[in-house]
Amino acid sequence: MLYQRKRDQLLMNGFEHIQNTGRNAVLVVGGGVAGIAASLDLADAGQSVHLVENDGHLGGQVSKLDKLYPTDHCAFCPLWTDVKKCVDHPLITVYTLSKIKELKQEKGKYSALILKHPHYIDEKKCIFCGRCVEECPVNAICSGWEHAYPPSFVIDEALCTKCGNCEKVCPSAAINMELKEEEIDLLVSDVIWATGFKEADLSHLKELGSGTHPDIMTSLEFEDWTAESGDNRGNIVKRSDHAVPATIAFIQCAGARDLRMIPSCSAVCCMHALKQAEWVKRRNKRIDCYIFYTDLRTVGRDYYRYSLRDFEDANIKLVRGRPGLIHPLPGGNGVAVQFENTITQKKEIRKFDIVILNGNIQPSLIQLRPAQSGNTAVPQTDKEGFVIEESGETSCFACGFGLEPADVAESVIQASAAAMKVMNKESDQR
Amino acid sequence: MATICVFLCKCFGEIDHIIDFDLLSKELSKDSSVVQISTVDSLCLETDIEKTISRITESNSDRVLIAACSILSRGNLVVESLIKEGVEWHKIGLVDIREGCAWIHANDPEGATQKALHIIKMGIVALRHKEMSDDMSVTVNPSALVLGAGPAGLAAAVSLAKMRYEVSILERSNAPGGMLRLISRCYPDNQDSSDKMAPYIREVENNPLITFYPQSKIISIEGDTGNFTVHFSSQEKDSSIQTGVIIVATGAKIFFPTGLYGYGKIKNVITQMEFERQLLKGSLKTEKTVFIQCVGARDSGRPYCSTICCPTSLKNAMRIIDDVPGGSVFILHRGIMTPGHTLEKYYRDTLSRGVQLIRFEEEYPPRIIGDDHVESVEVYDAITGMTRKIETDMVVLSTPLVPNNDNVEMARMLDIEVDRYGFFSEIYPMHPLETRRDGIFICGSARWPVASDQAMLQGKAAAMKAVSYLRQSHLVASTLSRVPGSKLGHASVDPDACTGCGNCVAACPFNACHLEKMENRYISIVNMMKCKACGNCVSVCPNGSIQIPEHNYRMVGGMIQRAF
Amino acid sequence: MNQPKILIFACKWCGLIGADAAGKKKLSLSPLFRVIPMECASLVETDAILRALAGGIDGVAVLGCHIGGCRYNNANHTSIKRLELLQNLLDTTGIGSSRLLLSFGTAHEDYQFEEIIKNFFDELISLPPLDSWLSPFGVTH
Repeated sequence: MLYQRKRDQLLMNGFEHIQNTGRNAVLVVGGGVAGIAASLDLADAGQSVHLVENDGHLGGQVSKLDKLYPTDHCAFCPLWTDVKKCVDHPLITVYTLSKIKELKQEKGKYSALILKHPHYIDEKKCIFCGRCVEECPVNAICSGWEHAYPPSFVIDEALCTKCGNCEKVCPSAAINMELKEEEIDLLVSDVIWATGFKEADLSHLKELGSGTHPDIMTSLEFEDWTAESGDNRGNIVKRSDHAVPATIAFIQCAGARDLRMIPSCSAVCCMHALKQAEWVKRRNKRIDCYIFYTDLRTVGRDYYRYSLRDFEDANIKLVRGRPGLIHPLPGGNGVAVQFENTITQKKEIRKFDIVILNGNIQPSLIQLRPAQSGNTAVPQTDKEGFVIEESGETSCFACGFGLEPADVAESVIQASAAAMKVMNKESDQR
Repeated sequence: MATICVFLCKCFGEIDHIIDFDLLSKELSKDSSVVQISTVDSLCLETDIEKTISRITESNSDRVLIAACSILSRGNLVVESLIKEGVEWHKIGLVDIREGCAWIHANDPEGATQKALHIIKMGIVALRHKEMSDDMSVTVNPSALVLGAGPAGLAAAVSLAKMRYEVSILERSNAPGGMLRLISRCYPDNQDSSDKMAPYIREVENNPLITFYPQSKIISIEGDTGNFTVHFSSQEKDSSIQTGVIIVATGAKIFFPTGLYGYGKIKNVITQMEFERQLLKGSLKTEKTVFIQCVGARDSGRPYCSTICCPTSLKNAMRIIDDVPGGSVFILHRGIMTPGHTLEKYYRDTLSRGVQLIRFEEEYPPRIIGDDHVESVEVYDAITGMTRKIETDMVVLSTPLVPNNDNVEMARMLDIEVDRYGFFSEIYPMHPLETRRDGIFICGSARWPVASDQAMLQGKAAAMKAVSYLRQSHLVASTLSRVPGSKLGHASVDPDACTGCGNCVAACPFNACHLEKMENRYISIVNMMKCKACGNCVSVCPNGSIQIPEHNYRMVGGMIQRAF
Repeated sequence: MNQPKILIFACKWCGLIGADAAGKKKLSLSPLFRVIPMECASLVETDAILRALAGGIDGVAVLGCHIGGCRYNNANHTSIKRLELLQNLLDTTGIGSSRLLLSFGTAHEDYQFEEIIKNFFDELISLPPLDSWLSPFGVTH
């Protein structure tokens, strides 16, 4: 007989052993790698978690990357399984398209008001058929992240005219344009800030030439532009005319280690540039890549060896020097980069087809204004936006880029450590 | 013969407007094992599950095959909701006729229908031959063992004890503290290292849940995740403990650069650690100091950056500027490795205090001038292109942390791996503290050179990972480190057919097979707590005696036959 | 001449993701290929491939994850070595190594999957037909 109720057969997602400790929930702000890791650690230890994410899906910045270092492998597999565990976990409540509207401290606890923007397309019902995409007259619908779990389409509100065509054609009645924003009140005992990073605008650093030519782009834009499943199908082409470039320049410390803008070192960009240069070479050996660096920070496991790898082929040239001027050439074909190779003390000016600015990432919290009324409990951040952790009656912990510029492995370690600090808080206060 | 109930999902017209379902039903009903074919509009919405269950029960079949969308989209949901309702998981089959058929062959409905038919037939034969593998569960011993009482080990042990778990710490030397005992102050806040360790050592001494074993050495480790038995000797007495998880925090050791820069021959050429000792004793004997970075690191012998040497030199340079009136410091480096926010600020502060930094290239290392006593250092300044001669009375060599001599032996006992340099390696970068063996974690410099702050963070993080194992009363082998949706069990050996060749033992990436003597021959035994059903063993077995029951050779052979 | 038939052993991660994503994007391929999903490419046995080629299938593709990306502790390393040896063997038997396509990592996204399979079809069309003979279980076409 096929249909038999067997208790131990139900153990297929491994959650049955989890019992709620009954303590107040923990609020994790930010659903990137760090937020996901912290939430899973807390939840697996019996602590209920509210995970709030601004974007429409979990995964954060890492989900937008095409490849990760040092494995040179796609970011999908390892991330997808953890995202799925988060979504399925009985002790984690995930709020996507959500923001924290208010956060107040009350008698040793936090009271949080979450503003949840509606998912007009219910991801639990979307069957990914794409009929809504075809019917939309303004092209406002697309799939948010290709590998989001559960996979669903997303409506870009800025373009939506509320014509209702999509609602009519959806076969599973997943679209409801009448949904309104929700305000959700939560009482939590601790907050872990895992808000990650965002790109900073480089246009006021005039020597970098940001925004003056389509082929001067940031490294995250380049990652997107050359993504395997992107519009260019993984081919390396110029943004200006889709031709194959002959030379690419990676400018490190663009905006970073710069007292005018971001005094810190962003930690991840050197390896990121090496990874991108490696992938350019894999796809097209003939493209010459130059990496202009100040200190090539390759500190983690196997990172230094990674930086040595293919340079014997002389297709990736490391030049120590921060270019003084990046300017589009007259006529628009190519970009001139003026630099001094500080090791040979030679000044040069060279033409590059694509220039990639690397380094302009800062903590997302830099935009926070703690003085707003009602928001008495937002974290203390320093001038650059990094969280200053506090422990005590109401603790505030942080992990990932919001605490210290960190790559994936470091962020996950910080996240687990933050989770442990939360679990230890009670005994610390005794 | 097994009877199968087949569901064909139309997916609201997405599939059936390309694929001819009537033809499918007609062809499939010719198969005698198919007792019922249901064509439905959808299977994955919440309202569908009851109807699906009732159809299954009506059919009186003992397997169910679902032909719908891919397992990576909504197919997973259907299977999981059936399992929640009590259907046995190894009796459910799922084949993809949407992403893999209807959608990708939309321009050839006839070909797509043929393909869908074959896909379903392949699914049927696979389901008929699918078997369920054995499983096992281990009672968890809710206590932890920490190897090493340095900053990482102490942080891990104290965190676990605060969560009310019993923790034992095995330490090789006679007191806790690890390498922090040899260091005067820690960066970036110049905290005295004994102040840093004090709260942890106090907790170790006072908390009854923590047992500290000094002068200990591991003899052997038996058992499995959740229940290890560790035999060790401590202060010359043999003993053993049962533990649920093991956290490896054994640290690393200093590299002595004998032969480099005159170390060992020229007086006053010392290592950073020897310098720390002078600071600890308060007997600083230098006014004009030169630090040389990357001594024996980032070269062909040890092609890695040891993380801590640059900030340590900056810290000690500032100490000289502060404590020695008129003191001067040069740091000769190949790139100052201070990534991040805190360390970069530390670097900027050092520069503003008058420490002088000179960059040299690997091909032109500095030269020590002096016969038995260092007089000066000559260095080719890569930035200015000039050779400089710096008068000095002490040269401090920054050497890397290197793996402990017994890491390889320890890895063998624990059954985990070391990387190419000899440090313990993690299983993948997104799970940086976990090893290939569940329940064994690595943290601190045993894993990769880190400073004490980071080591403590890693210790806490490893402890947090350990908690998810310790909280459970039993560990079921098929759920260990499995990805959600992975419905495979373990490899299983047919003891009559196995010839004891040992191929599987060599091929298994998790070291889950071993040979045991049975009467007059050897056969392979699979340790279910380690086996992740990847299938390497199956591919190297000369006669198919090891199989994964959920993906056995009859299934594969049947699928190949019915493919076209 | 008959259109060639391809059997793909795809690891459930990289291999299947590419095939899946190609379907989600509604790309277009000839329907003459079948996919057998496996947990890991290391589960693909040599004799399964030989059986497939003996049973009338013109080409076999094995899709797995990148080196360094296998979630089973680099199980794909040994499987790549084994399958490359098999390619050498196929050359010596006159079947030809071009009938066994190994793609470890490049087929993990949609366009790449489409390109690889299209190229494989083209390659197989250019080869002379493979004589099929009865496999031990009998051939049912």
